[in-house]
Amino acid sequence: MDDLDDLLTGAKAVSMPPSDALMARVLADAATVQAGFVAVRPAVVVARAGWLARLAAVFGGAGSLAGVSAAAVMGLVFGFVQPDGIGAVADIWVGSDVAQLDLMPQVDVLLAEE
Amino acid sequence: MPRDTLADLCDEALVVLYANGDPDAARLLAKRLVPRVMGYAARMLADRAEAEDIAQEAMLRLWRVAPDWRQGEARVSTWIYRVVANLCTDRLRARRRQRAEALDDVAEPADGAASVVAGMIEADRMAALDRALAALPERQREAVVLRHIEGFNNPEIAEILQIGVEAVESLTARGKRALAAVLAGQRAALGYEEAE
Repeated sequence: MDDLDDLLTGAKAVSMPPSDALMARVLADAATVQAGFVAVRPAVVVARAGWLARLAAVFGGAGSLAGVSAAAVMGLVFGFVQPDGIGAVADIWVGSDVAQLDLMPQVDVLLAEE
Repeated sequence: MPRDTLADLCDEALVVLYANGDPDAARLLAKRLVPRVMGYAARMLADRAEAEDIAQEAMLRLWRVAPDWRQGEARVSTWIYRVVANLCTDRLRARRRQRAEALDDVAEPADGAASVVAGMIEADRMAALDRALAALPERQREAVVLRHIEGFNNPEIAEILQIGVEAVESLTARGKRALAAVLAGQRAALGYEEAE
């Protein structure tokens, strides 16, 4: 049985290289079949970008648009709620007590009643 | 995908890439699989030309099944060996029907004449092994070749031959005993007696 094991082990190491003609036939079959896959594959439809995507593109992408949106929302929140801390921060920036900050004083002229 | 990257991929991933249109995946799969399946078919049929036909047919079936291949469900190697085993069985049945059994076409091993013994080389031993394998019943030959030459384990052989693991163990054991009996009369021709 040892001789048989040696023989079988030797057979395992023996390779039977396929002829070039066989490999060419196999690869030709592969190309023909693969061409059929491509032919039946539906065309990829590129969807037109939606309005939100186009708006995001204007701001440099969805991440930037999210930042701008968040800032806008926070601005509205601070405007309506007016937390105490806001006044303190404004005092530091403006340098005096601020009860009301006139951001566009030149408009007063237009609004003044005669 | 670059070829260097492809070479690292398993057969199953290459089949999926082939189905997705990768032109190099087929080349790499053919390079890996064709020599193996052709060698197996040649041992089963003792005919290189028929083995080449079967290797081509088995690969064609792989190309066709590629779009439906599901990774993780089966190994490409066991799948294609199963295809080859079935194709070989069909060919052997056709031979039997035509009463042209392979054994009739195979030359009897040479006598243990001194000149033959002295000139015996490894190729002759392999030829003797192939003749002895051809003398085995088909199922035993399949099991012995898959286990001891192709290197599959018993569960894999069970999957290829679509039988139970216990049946595989029985087939390989009986096949190996029968093979030893066939080769026992050729020990001198195989050059083994001198080594003892």
